[in-house]
Amino acid sequence: MFDLLIHFLQNTGYYLADYRHYIMLVVGFSFLYLGTSKNYEPLLLVPIGFGILVGNIPFFKGFGIGIYENNSVLHYLYFGVTTGVYPSIVFLGLGAMTDFSSLLSQPKLMLLGAAAQMGIYFTLLSALFLGFLPREAASIAIIGGADGPTSIFLTAKLAPHLIGPIAIAAYSYMALIPVIQPPIMRLLTSRKERLIKMPPSREVSKKELIIFPVVGVLLCCYLAPTALPLLGLLFLGNFLKECGVVDRLAKTAQSAIIDTATIFLGFTVGCSTQADVFLTPKALGIFFLGAVAFSIATASGVIFAKIMNLFLKEKINPLLGAAGVSAVPGSAREVHLMGLKEDPTNFLLMHGMACNSSGVIGSAICAGILWSFFM
Amino acid sequence: MFSFHNITANNGWAMAAVGASIVFSGLVILSFAISQIHKLLALWDERAQYFGQSKKQGLEEETKGPGAPAYSPPHIPPVDELARIYRPLAKQLKEPFDLIQLFEKTKEMDIPHPHLSIKRLREAGYLLPQQQDLFIWNKQKDN
Repeated sequence: MFDLLIHFLQNTGYYLADYRHYIMLVVGFSFLYLGTSKNYEPLLLVPIGFGILVGNIPFFKGFGIGIYENNSVLHYLYFGVTTGVYPSIVFLGLGAMTDFSSLLSQPKLMLLGAAAQMGIYFTLLSALFLGFLPREAASIAIIGGADGPTSIFLTAKLAPHLIGPIAIAAYSYMALIPVIQPPIMRLLTSRKERLIKMPPSREVSKKELIIFPVVGVLLCCYLAPTALPLLGLLFLGNFLKECGVVDRLAKTAQSAIIDTATIFLGFTVGCSTQADVFLTPKALGIFFLGAVAFSIATASGVIFAKIMNLFLKEKINPLLGAAGVSAVPGSAREVHLMGLKEDPTNFLLMHGMACNSSGVIGSAICAGILWSFFM
Repeated sequence: MFSFHNITANNGWAMAAVGASIVFSGLVILSFAISQIHKLLALWDERAQYFGQSKKQGLEEETKGPGAPAYSPPHIPPVDELARIYRPLAKQLKEPFDLIQLFEKTKEMDIPHPHLSIKRLREAGYLLPQQQDLFIWNKQKDN
């Protein structure tokens, strides 16, 4: 009986845990704290944080329990991540929730979304410089797009062994937008530039809103067919919303479908951060490069806006460049708040959303392009 | 381990340059395309209107009897009623004011037929001309 008790105790998590598990538990608690107390991207950080706690409960391997063990429940749920199914479903919901009218009223703001993607290519070079393999470097670089689902999608295709660290880095930096972006914006702009007021948006007709997803999917996916799983569903979701005859489908896509995918995506990504797989020198490198990617993306958007101002009669507020990353709506909100700080009557939210939504499209195209380079 | 050779050996420079160019040109094309949508729609609508009108005209000519009125004038309220509507708008403007300012006010309030209404108010002496095409509201008329 005593042997049985000893045997049982030796199989408990308390006995099997080592310092790495405790480190990961601290990471998990931090995510939960940031999500629940600080309200930083709670829809993402709460399921991921809880997933980190669950994924870092030590167990005896070989019994089909862990996420990396065949036939385990978690492994089946993780299938949606490794095949890129969840990110595509999230994009469907995102499309059904996104209002592109601000982008349609000021199409030139789309260039800021393009400029912010430069962070991706700078990070690609940096990762290669640091000795990462090309496929790994491409997966790390996409963090610069500041789009969690896109990062997961590309990493699942190119370097599935890095999904955990890359997803955590991408979502962490998305949640830390209020910390990362404002100093860069302030550093690169003068007060006079921050005070620039944007003209009110043109009223966009319903027909334009309906035509846009059709034009968008054709132009973008003919250019980068590998972005089809993301952009195809993004524009489908948007078409469902705008066409006005399938409200039931649009409502389901923007509520139940995206919520279900977000829960399983966040939770399984969290679970995939098992200490023995996650805590490696490579993961540290990924976190470092992720921060570089995000900062460069923000900076290149702001700098490009300033360059555009050299040629434009009607100047644009360069803060909007920071919203060119695709962290919707976090970066647009941050730009708006900084504009309000300088001038309480300067409302930049809708213009920021235009840059943000073009950033989503831009980073998905980048993911498609990078994937196609390795086909 | 850290080396620019890693970038060159893995075709990194080319990937970055080509990738950045593709995404940039793609979004430039998309932004150009979406900037043209409303113009194309306006053209299309005008075309539809033109064909619609000629069809309508044909139908009307067929169904109308001889001597039926070809045009029905818009309904404009009596001038006193117009003065009652326009007085508060004129009060919001600094006198003397330009009629365009009054016209803008009516547009904001979505008041129908502002041109005809302002014309009638002028003819009835509610709007008195001043120097440089400016007008004031005739307060004596209010009494």
